[in-house]
Amino acid sequence: MVAALALLVPAACSAAPAGSVELTVFAAASLSDALTAAGNVYEVDNRGVSLTLSFDASSALRTQIEQGAPGDVLASADMANPQALVDGKLAVGPVVQFARNELTIVVPAANPARIGDPRDLARPGVWIVGAGESVPISRYIDECLAKLAALPGYPAGYAAGVASNVVSREDNVRAALTKVELGEADAAFVYVTDAAASDAVEVVGIPAAANVEAVYGSVAISGSRHPAEAAAFVAWLAGPRGASILATFGFLGPAGE
Amino acid sequence: MKRSPIGLLAGAGGGLLVLFLGLPILALLARAVTGGLLPEAAGASAVLEALGLSLVTTLASLALAVALGTPLAYALARRRVRGRALLEALVDLPIVLPPAVAGLALLLVLGRRGWIGGPLEALGISIPFTTVAVVLAQTFVAAPFFVRAARTGFAGVDRHLEDAARVDGASEASVFWHVTLPLAAPALAPGLVMTWARALGEFGATIMFAGNFAGRTQTLPLVVYGEFQAGALDAAVAAAAILVLAALGVLIAVRGFGWRRALDVRSI
Repeated sequence: MVAALALLVPAACSAAPAGSVELTVFAAASLSDALTAAGNVYEVDNRGVSLTLSFDASSALRTQIEQGAPGDVLASADMANPQALVDGKLAVGPVVQFARNELTIVVPAANPARIGDPRDLARPGVWIVGAGESVPISRYIDECLAKLAALPGYPAGYAAGVASNVVSREDNVRAALTKVELGEADAAFVYVTDAAASDAVEVVGIPAAANVEAVYGSVAISGSRHPAEAAAFVAWLAGPRGASILATFGFLGPAGE
Repeated sequence: MKRSPIGLLAGAGGGLLVLFLGLPILALLARAVTGGLLPEAAGASAVLEALGLSLVTTLASLALAVALGTPLAYALARRRVRGRALLEALVDLPIVLPPAVAGLALLLVLGRRGWIGGPLEALGISIPFTTVAVVLAQTFVAAPFFVRAARTGFAGVDRHLEDAARVDGASEASVFWHVTLPLAAPALAPGLVMTWARALGEFGATIMFAGNFAGRTQTLPLVVYGEFQAGALDAAVAAAAILVLAALGVLIAVRGFGWRRALDVRSI
């Protein structure tokens, strides 16, 4: 059986026409729409390169790469996960910042819990969905809650109150968004770009003073069979063409532009 | 005695499959043992909490499956049921459905905007993200195993023995409790075990319908997945090893008690 599988592998690999390069890009779930669009443009601009995209929580993708998943690029919703791969000699540094994002709160269009303000999230009985503790957005949310709690008008124990209303930790931010779209959850913190991608949710803004900047970074993965092409994609994504496509989905360009 | 080439080939094929099935389990247990992960896991509150939740919810699912599945199985085995083929296919469906499909379907009916969940929500009752949702998800995927086993069991009971009891003046309830049920027991017992084991392993429907929250809806399989997603491989292996040991214990017990029919496809 093992021998039979071994025979299948070269056959599968040789399916691509000669001279073409297939890059596998692991990308944060929040990049689902934007990177799909950017990838289409990239394939047109770079004949002979085709992209295969795989979306999930950045932390989950990092785990997959650490467990030997074959891939060429990680585009993460933070700098920490790709940096950890670089530190572990699993990716070629430095981590290239390619986009920034901000947080917002989404509620179902009908807003059954009548949430009009971030303060309402701490009210008992509000059902909030989050993402797993290791998922980048969870760290951004913690920072944001700490900042909100420090604002005038927010009660003592605000952050703890919100935390106690969390009813589920979904796989990634898009899964949390889906639970709000379905009306199963009353609210979720998501990225501004996630909220913009959905017709079925309403946005409850976060005061600018409490918002958090999410910084997206990408790296070429060490085991890549196409290191030059992988590095080229990483650079392109952070360049003007990549940034302009991501901007149409609401992403902010990398800092320092 | 010389063995035929075909016999040798078949033996080699069978041995390869045993290796294929056994090695991953062995690797999992070996890593848990050599890494000293089991004592660690046994002391980890997240694992203990999930184990406790798994035990409570699987027993509740089992109770539901028995309470509702016994009358159904009896009717399927004994009564003229219109559309029996369709009904039996419907009852068997969760066995072949991907659990994620079950989770999605449960959401559409029992979710907060679902056919039943919507009206319940208006009464202030929400099911998703609660321990009740875990029990329902497990019951959905596991109950068919009990119904199948019980149907086979009831169908196999010699009707003459029941009639003999009736002649002696026993009531219908008495006939069921003292004659039918004990005679069907050899088929019911393995059905119970398989139902419980399937509920214990339930993952997809649970994570979709009940969500994932420690202490409330995070059963042991969800811990395995969550820890792996978070990159905590050792913690995932430890929780997985506990599940393997539990499942293995059940299967060995089934053999030990002579309930071999639990492992016979005809009863599943």
